[in-house]
Amino acid sequence: MRQAWIASLDPRELRVAGAAMLGAGVLLPILPGHPSLVCPLRAATGVPCPLCGLSTSVEETVRLHWGDALRANPFGLLLVLVAAGLLVLRPRRLRLPMPALYAALAASWLFELHRFSII
Amino acid sequence: MTTPEYQAPPVSTQGPSGPRASFGRRFVAALIDGILLGIVSGILTALNRNLGYAVETLLSLAYFTYLEGSASGQTLGKKAMGIRVIDFAGGGSIGHGRAFIRWIGRFVSAIACLLGYFWMLWDKEKQTWHDKFANAVVVPESAYPVERWPG
Repeated sequence: MRQAWIASLDPRELRVAGAAMLGAGVLLPILPGHPSLVCPLRAATGVPCPLCGLSTSVEETVRLHWGDALRANPFGLLLVLVAAGLLVLRPRRLRLPMPALYAALAASWLFELHRFSII
Repeated sequence: MTTPEYQAPPVSTQGPSGPRASFGRRFVAALIDGILLGIVSGILTALNRNLGYAVETLLSLAYFTYLEGSASGQTLGKKAMGIRVIDFAGGGSIGHGRAFIRWIGRFVSAIACLLGYFWMLWDKEKQTWHDKFANAVVVPESAYPVERWPG
């Protein structure tokens, strides 16, 4: 029962996702027109989702604009640190307590709801 | 070539119950499908500007429902990346009805900045939200060979 709350993650897969995220963070701002992901939930309802602000935050973090990154979504900074850690330290196994993930998503959503003056 | 007999998922708490397509392969497959659909709908829209988003939506619906519901469970992108959609419980085709549910589910997966797509990174069975809605999994073709495309 305990293991249902602990997710066993594939480090190789997360390294690929992390590298893609860091690559996008570096490349997107220098591409013509600065392509970005428009949140469908926010576009349709005006209400941000838990992941809103993350692409801006990641882009600002890799450009060392940490204040702007924190203002967009503090979890972007954390994601960049985790991705860099995965690429440098190359852990062989990873476990994630699912309550921590749900708590992070909830915290990120509260932050975004506050940022957009919903709460 | 014969398809190996599908083994029902064993009761396990360690990782997925069978081979699963990686995030990277699924990402590139989605990119290929997106580019192909973008080109075709771009051409159709250029021919008739009144079509707009309707043609894009209908094209995407037909493309994913027909190909992912076929025996191979492969769109062109998935075929190129050597992965396929199968039924989680039985290992066969998900059929066109569930392929349609999976297509609708894509919108739910995308609604929160693609959170439903990223879900596979920590999900035990490496399922996205739309995989869960259709009770499907995406697997490597090397482990579950395709006899004929689209089948």
